[in-house]
Amino acid sequence: MLFIMPVVLIVISSLMQEFGWSSLTKDPSIQVLFVDNDHDSLGLKIKDGFDGSDVFEVVDSLNHLPLTIESAKQAVKKGDYLIAIVVPKGATSTMRANVRLSVAKTLAGFGLGNPMLFDGITLRDSVDVTIFFDPTVKKTFKNALISSVRENYYKFQTDWVFRTFNQEIALQMPMYKPPKEAFNEILHFREVFPSYREVELIPNATQHNVPAWTIFAMFFIVIPLTQSLIQEREGGSLFRLLTMPVPYMTLLLGKVGVYLVVCLVQTVAMLLAGILLLPLFGLPMLVLGDDLPGLFVMTLVVAMAAVGYGLMIGTIAKTHQQAASFGSITVIILAAIGGLWVPIYLMPPIMRDISLLSPLNWAITGYYSIFLRGGDFWLIAPQAVRLLIFAFSTVLITALYQRYKRPLNN
Amino acid sequence: MASQPIIEIRELTKVYKGADEPAVKAISLDIFPNEIFGLLGPNGAGKTTTISILCGLFPATKGSVMIDGLDSHTDLNKIKQIIGVVPQDIALYPTLTDRENLTFFGNMYGLYGSELHDKVNHYLTEFGLEKHAGKTVSKYSGGMKRRVNLIAGLLHDPRIIFLDEPTVGIDVQSRVVILEYLKEINKKGVTIIYTSHYMEEAENLCSRVAIIDRGNIIALGNPKDLLEGHPEFKNLENIFIHLTGKEMRD
Repeated sequence: MLFIMPVVLIVISSLMQEFGWSSLTKDPSIQVLFVDNDHDSLGLKIKDGFDGSDVFEVVDSLNHLPLTIESAKQAVKKGDYLIAIVVPKGATSTMRANVRLSVAKTLAGFGLGNPMLFDGITLRDSVDVTIFFDPTVKKTFKNALISSVRENYYKFQTDWVFRTFNQEIALQMPMYKPPKEAFNEILHFREVFPSYREVELIPNATQHNVPAWTIFAMFFIVIPLTQSLIQEREGGSLFRLLTMPVPYMTLLLGKVGVYLVVCLVQTVAMLLAGILLLPLFGLPMLVLGDDLPGLFVMTLVVAMAAVGYGLMIGTIAKTHQQAASFGSITVIILAAIGGLWVPIYLMPPIMRDISLLSPLNWAITGYYSIFLRGGDFWLIAPQAVRLLIFAFSTVLITALYQRYKRPLNN
Repeated sequence: MASQPIIEIRELTKVYKGADEPAVKAISLDIFPNEIFGLLGPNGAGKTTTISILCGLFPATKGSVMIDGLDSHTDLNKIKQIIGVVPQDIALYPTLTDRENLTFFGNMYGLYGSELHDKVNHYLTEFGLEKHAGKTVSKYSGGMKRRVNLIAGLLHDPRIIFLDEPTVGIDVQSRVVILEYLKEINKKGVTIIYTSHYMEEAENLCSRVAIIDRGNIIALGNPKDLLEGHPEFKNLENIFIHLTGKEMRD
């Protein structure tokens, strides 16, 4: 169970998160209801923007009937679709009229055209593009979608302004020859993930999930470890051991050794799952990076921290129930605040500060340095040292607690 | 009786943190080599506390313990090498077999290889467990578990054995095997310190007994001498009830 369940966890969570990481390159899967009441250039432009996207798939009819505002709203309300966009009637004509007026006023300021022609004419009111969202849609996703619509709108408007200027100037100055080439975007975005390696490491669900769940599984060893310690205590085996000519610290280190091996085997199983198993599910293969000694050191210190934490909980807890509930809940909390599930940059500022106190955060930061940044031993050294100090502290607390709070004279 | 005690207890006192009164109140006692010494008393009398201090499980609040000339404050590790402890609980790992349990505890006493293997085989045969070797302890009967529990305390050939209720809750056959074996090793020179609630068993087995109650030793001597001193009682149990009262203890 200790080896199989974490592997299953990695496969499932990687499959679930794969879309989030690969959506820019793979088949779209989020359907967007699109109600085009504009029936003109702007509506088409926004629709084309979604059509060209790798994330969205435009749906403009339901049950072979063209979408209406009401049918789109109902579909989102029922939870059948996450998003519906309504481009209102007259959106394009409003934009064109406003652009034409603004351009004409600007040129009149240069003495081109008669300002009397548009005296008293004002810009039309802006139009509302309505977007219906399912309540489960996250804010970040909403923002991304709105930005996408806005981007398409601005592109269209810029192009229209440029064209209108050319037309108006040509009207006022017949000798003016408008440029033949279209207005081009001069900014192109190229994604680069700086790495310490020669080969760039591409972030994906595998590179994120394997280390995150490996750490989580290692820390979850707190459950079997605490149960073993309490069973030993309640069953009387500890009593017998304490009457034997073996220092308590030796007994403690013996346990640390055994569970360290368990953690290391567990890690190997999970890394192998990342390399061999995940590609079978169509997921990217785990790339270990160049620094295997660094990876080993990181794994060893994470395992030491996890085992030390388990020893401490198992020694201080009075009952199986206490150890199981406290141990598992604290590991989940430490994982949550440590950024294993939600990246810390998405957390509020106070949580980001708290996150830095979690040993699981040190662990994931260290692993990401290897798996995502291609870092070496020196890059992970600060995290490794913190985890080592944490491990020694927990073992020390365990020994002191056993000495002063529980029967022991060794 | 040998003149030099193998265990010397002087003014031994134990006060647990937060307790109103001491669990053991300045008791002094000599136990001599080759004795089977019974420490008897009702629940909460201080027997287990005394045994635990003698085994080195925790220190006394006051007083001293010398075992075979070794001071329990300074020579505890040496003391632990010459004593064997058989706890009242079945202090074994239930998911391991008897052989695995005994091998592990033997290792803790520094026994390895063929020496340990031979000892484990010897004791499993001696206690009629060889047929069952290989089964996990959790599948054993209460009597079988008790026998393995005893063997774990004998593997390293201790000179002194502390047994806390070694026959509680087991069948008559297992009890006879255990008691016979204790007598046998006692004849070979092993000193036995033993606690029990079975007065008849203590009367038959022990060369001397101490009745302890509320942290004090209230009677000490050979069971026969104690009976002669109280001719109005027929057996040790009657003397015990007379001295400790009929009030039930927690």
